[in-house]
Amino acid sequence: MDRVRKLKLALWALLGLAASVAVTRFLFGLGASTNLTDANPWGVWVGFDVMGGVALASGGFIVTATVYIFKLERFHSVIRPAVLTAFLGYVAVAVGLLFDLGLPWNIWHMMVYWNPHSPLFEVGWCVMLYLTILLLEFFPVPAEEFPRLASIRSTLIKFRLPLVIIGIGLSTLHQSSLGSLFLIMPYRLHPLWYSPILPVMFLISAIGLGLSMVILESHFTAYFYRRSPEVNLLASFASACRWVLLIYLAVRFSDLIVRGQTSQLLIGNWRTGLFWFEILVMAVIPIGLFSSVRLRSSQAGQWTAAAFAVCGIVLNRIDVGGVAHPRPNGGFYLPSWTELSISVGIVSAAVLAFLFMVEHFKVWEQRPADPHANPLWLPEFHPVDTTWLGIPGIAARTTYSLAFIVATALGFGLLNVRAVESRGVDPTPVHRARGGEILWIDGNLDGFGVAFKHVEHQKREGGNESCVKCHHMNLPRDKGSACARCHRDMYLPSDAFQHDWHASPSGARIACYQCHAEGEARTAATAAACDKCHKDLVPIGALIVVKNYRAVAYTEAMHRMCIDCHVKKAREKNKPEMTRCDWCHKDRRDVIDSRELLLRKAGLMGENVVLPTREARK
Amino acid sequence: MKAAILTDTTKCINCHECVAACKKQNHLTLDLPRRWDLDDGLSAKNWTSVVEGPEHTFVRKQCRHCLEPACVSACPVGALQRTKLGAVVYESSKCMGCRYCMMACPYGIPRYEWQAAVPYVRKCIFCYDRIAAGGQPACTEACPTKATIFGDRDLLLAEAHDRIDKSPDKYMNKVWGEHDAGGTSVLCISNADLSFVFGGAAVGAKPLPATTEVAMGAVPFAFTGVVACMAAVSWVIERRMKNGKDESNG
Repeated sequence: MDRVRKLKLALWALLGLAASVAVTRFLFGLGASTNLTDANPWGVWVGFDVMGGVALASGGFIVTATVYIFKLERFHSVIRPAVLTAFLGYVAVAVGLLFDLGLPWNIWHMMVYWNPHSPLFEVGWCVMLYLTILLLEFFPVPAEEFPRLASIRSTLIKFRLPLVIIGIGLSTLHQSSLGSLFLIMPYRLHPLWYSPILPVMFLISAIGLGLSMVILESHFTAYFYRRSPEVNLLASFASACRWVLLIYLAVRFSDLIVRGQTSQLLIGNWRTGLFWFEILVMAVIPIGLFSSVRLRSSQAGQWTAAAFAVCGIVLNRIDVGGVAHPRPNGGFYLPSWTELSISVGIVSAAVLAFLFMVEHFKVWEQRPADPHANPLWLPEFHPVDTTWLGIPGIAARTTYSLAFIVATALGFGLLNVRAVESRGVDPTPVHRARGGEILWIDGNLDGFGVAFKHVEHQKREGGNESCVKCHHMNLPRDKGSACARCHRDMYLPSDAFQHDWHASPSGARIACYQCHAEGEARTAATAAACDKCHKDLVPIGALIVVKNYRAVAYTEAMHRMCIDCHVKKAREKNKPEMTRCDWCHKDRRDVIDSRELLLRKAGLMGENVVLPTREARK
Repeated sequence: MKAAILTDTTKCINCHECVAACKKQNHLTLDLPRRWDLDDGLSAKNWTSVVEGPEHTFVRKQCRHCLEPACVSACPVGALQRTKLGAVVYESSKCMGCRYCMMACPYGIPRYEWQAAVPYVRKCIFCYDRIAAGGQPACTEACPTKATIFGDRDLLLAEAHDRIDKSPDKYMNKVWGEHDAGGTSVLCISNADLSFVFGGAAVGAKPLPATTEVAMGAVPFAFTGVVACMAAVSWVIERRMKNGKDESNG
């Protein structure tokens, strides 16, 4: 397989992985698919997909300005790939935004409900308009292939100069406004990054990034299509990029000096380290490499330096977007693999679209071709790989589909249950209450328990006959089932029905047809009702009505049972209701010494836990 | 009238009646401990909480309803609005879920329904319908010790300064919310430093919307400037090239 094939295969696989995550994202929400919290509401989807994406796509306006405004015609050969990259980049930003927005179907609200004070409003409008302009700028290229579109094409070419000029204006605005977004958070963004001239710095670094991106993209496609990159042209870009980055460096450090934040530069914490790393990768190394005439005229020198600049400036956007924010609770945001796979998947899709466009339309003077993609070729009877997949063109598509599907399946396998169930909370197992006369009810073992006078309640309610009042739905031949048997989780409802036990030969030994009628799907919906057999399961006189066999959460069950009854009784006797938590939860952490609490939490004391008696605790 | 709440932490007994009243008023259901919670007790289903600070100081945490709210200025679709009475309210039907308000709030108040497939931003709305009808919020009504009271902002400010003046050894000489971020509708007086809950030390007196105003005000000028500049450069260069050609031809 040649290079393009391998690349496409990898991209399709990454896209497949992202597809599985995308399903989770839209079915179960952001909590299930990201590591975002109330402390870090913005993560890598804003930092990379949106802010990084917009900056990465800045090559379009820089190259169009060079050629159409400054009339440097020798750069004409890079204009089409640059505009195509910009267009696909902005489409990728829009797609990324659809993932990040909580209510993506409301994205059009920006057009209807206006708030001109908001920098985000301005960014949104500029991106929408600029995307349209990029489409109009690039449209003549694919239109070449369709004679019917010739008139539209010539009109668009006629209006090219005004389109380019407006495009440059819009780009200047939103590239800088992405920096303005953070002006409103002086208390959130770290002083090494926060600056009143953040918009200016964003604009300068975006220009540097655009130039580097043109260089990198040319070398990237040159490698995969085995074409020769425009080394001499790119050397001029490299030289320009060096000056832009130098200006950036000067602006950034003078800003730090003017704001009096230079003392921050030498503090030995990880944020200072991050700052220096960012400066090194985004500016110092590329400037160094691009300054040498020999290096910036060589292929290796060009792409190494450009790669450094691209990574560094994107890192800067990610830092400003979320990493360089002090955490109020000391927590730390690291993107989950699901977030990263969506970001990578969107980039993969953009690259695949780019490859499709360069193969099918005249983006370069010479159109590169996938040598095996011609469907008219006869099947090659290669003994190992291609034969069984059909003729080469079809074989490639089959392999890509296979990679996509396998990766999607893998993704679904990797998604954990918690993500899919969208719980955002670990199941908290309930532990049995213990004690004789007094039950210590503290299901989640956090030390805030209730000392429940069990015997006293039993006596008051009428002796042995009264069990049914509280212990509803007892298990067969059981007078007082433990609450935790069915209410197994502190916070989440659990299933009280044990299917396996019913079907097991060592359990109830019930055959399938005894519950699920013949010829019907064997699901919970078609199963026979429980009370067909368990006629005495819900005792007569039970306080709580059982609607279905889904046991509510432990806390809810306990609260409902105690509070409802007490409130009712209190009303009858005209006494104050129990409205405050510490009415029951009197026994607090300070009663049980912390060592014991720790041991109990670790479960070390297990069954032999000895609880302080009510008197001893007083 | 500018509606406001004054909380006197020396009177708070940590009974959580305000929290319970808020839950009841706004139909908020049982809250689960979640991965994305902060440790201040606020969440999408808890719009107010009582935070315990040093020296057994109990402070209510809730939306401050700034006089110049950063969230309102940040929201790109105007889903957050400051009403005439001073309540900062949220219109969920406009929201598109960008969460810029959460980033912009200097106090970190708005919370998100991360667990939901259709999530909204949630925060205290000052019981807007109640105060618009001439009543008071559920929390102040429920407070048994009158530690948190509702009234006109100017009167409450006078009351706060009065209390501080009468017993200067009991209170710290500061009304939290008087100037913070341009002033807030939720005021607080205390015997202890409350910066742990309000970010008082960090949040200066400057209203936050002013920070982006300069940049946003420059937008039309920047656009016209850049466009005019580019058009001019293009025209000049084209003319020169033409002249150059003519000369060489002639």
